[in-house]
Amino acid sequence: MTRRILLLASALALGAVAFSGDRFWLQFLGKAMIGCILAMSLDLLVGFTGLVSLAHSAFFGLAAYALAGVTNRLGVVNPLLTFPVCLLAAAAAALIIGFLSLRATGVYFIMVTLAFTQMLFYLFNDSPALGGSDGLYVAERPVDSRAAAYLAIWAALVLAYLLLARILRAPFGRVLEGIRGNEQRMRSLGYPIRRYKLIAFVIAGALAGVAGYLDATLYGFVNPAQLGWRQSGLILVTVLLGGKGTLYGPAFGALLLAFIEHYGERVTGHWNALIAALIVAVVLFLPRGLAGLGQGGRRA
Amino acid sequence: MPEPLLLTEDLTRRFGALAAVDGVSLAFEEGRVHAVIGPNGAGKSTFLNLLSGELRATQGRVRFRGLDVTRATPDELSRLGIGRSYQTANLFPELSCADCAWLAAQSRLPSSMRFLRPAERYSEVAARAARALEACGLSARRPALAGELSYGEQRQLEIAMMLATEPTLLLLDEPLAGLGHDEALRVVALLTEVARGRTVILVEHDMDAVFSISDTVTVLVDGRVLERGSPDQVRTSAAVREAYLGEEIA
Repeated sequence: MTRRILLLASALALGAVAFSGDRFWLQFLGKAMIGCILAMSLDLLVGFTGLVSLAHSAFFGLAAYALAGVTNRLGVVNPLLTFPVCLLAAAAAALIIGFLSLRATGVYFIMVTLAFTQMLFYLFNDSPALGGSDGLYVAERPVDSRAAAYLAIWAALVLAYLLLARILRAPFGRVLEGIRGNEQRMRSLGYPIRRYKLIAFVIAGALAGVAGYLDATLYGFVNPAQLGWRQSGLILVTVLLGGKGTLYGPAFGALLLAFIEHYGERVTGHWNALIAALIVAVVLFLPRGLAGLGQGGRRA
Repeated sequence: MPEPLLLTEDLTRRFGALAAVDGVSLAFEEGRVHAVIGPNGAGKSTFLNLLSGELRATQGRVRFRGLDVTRATPDELSRLGIGRSYQTANLFPELSCADCAWLAAQSRLPSSMRFLRPAERYSEVAARAARALEACGLSARRPALAGELSYGEQRQLEIAMMLATEPTLLLLDEPLAGLGHDEALRVVALLTEVARGRTVILVEHDMDAVFSISDTVTVLVDGRVLERGSPDQVRTSAAVREAYLGEEIA
């Protein structure tokens, strides 16, 4: 109950910022909320299905590049067109990469997703036609006012949470939970588990694509680092920090990391060390992440 | 003579040079309890794993209701109506009894690719799960985590999960292994109940249980069928005594 109130209050507070008109906060919290979407969608895989994927940044980056490509090359800007196109691009990539990676399990799965992420990184990094290491500007953004972009991000975050929470309560979510607990037993109970894992992978990848689309909309710029595995690693750390398998935990983890990054930079240039220390502390003392601070909360 | 529900033809599984199951041709008639016994290393577990799709046959065929299922995967076999229980607890340790049974019961939905309606509103699934727990005497233990159940209760939950998938053929892998005397008695009573009107293939070490529950007994030695018949025939068979029982008793 308290969790619901906390979530609702946070959502309303974040939404209210849209009307402040403060450029810094719109940009800063917009970015942070994109991090929330990424972390929650990766939690579907890491926390609920037991699949540790390092390909999440690939879908984020691909959708962002898709927006740049569609806008710059074809001159299409309207979000009613560009959004579905970018979403589909990310989902299609997740379908292909997921189909191939999910033939492996455990640490091999992690390695295959890492390999695909790096392939895409170098593809964009080394092709001048795709912007090379400098990246690309989005010639015209689908939403030009920063407040409107912020509101779109906020709405996407709320919808992503509601969608994921809903899916997880449905029979599909129960199957994912079973796969996390005992994959082999799920198979012997009659579930074609690879199909379920693939669908979860595509849903998560599509949501990462939503985040990438919004990011390119907010900044009007994409670069290959967003595709790279370091970005994937950061999302993974966010999930663990916030508390995997809780959905809201990783979202708060993303907000917290954004603040640490921002204020830590003022205190010391080595703010990464602060994050590292925090992660070590959480792993040692809060195995269930920051969400473990509150009460149980097994299911989102 | 009832129709065979399951048929193996020259079923063979080799691990390198070792033939764990070696040319086994058997018919399992519907509505009966078939025990498969044999000394350690006789290939009983391998045989069961071949039937449930967890291992692939090197050679030979398996037919279920006339259908060739030699290459079928475990999930396909489960959906065709072959349920199995495991020797060592193979549950979802972090889930409650109720949730374990739920997952088993939910597997009989035409598909679990259902994304919007909350799971608990599927009342037929809830009913199926509740029936299975009830049948196995676990109704009172619904909220307990599977990982925290006693050994005997875990075995009961194994069987409950299998029943919740509403199978026509039950494969039981040493359901009494590792149980204390009282627990074993409870599980034997449960098995007797469960076996009524169903087709069962039972791999088991406990001879008293095997002879009391089974209609036919097959003795495997070194991956081959040594003897097959009614419990009495097998008990009095000289070959079986020599190859297996004598050694076990001594």
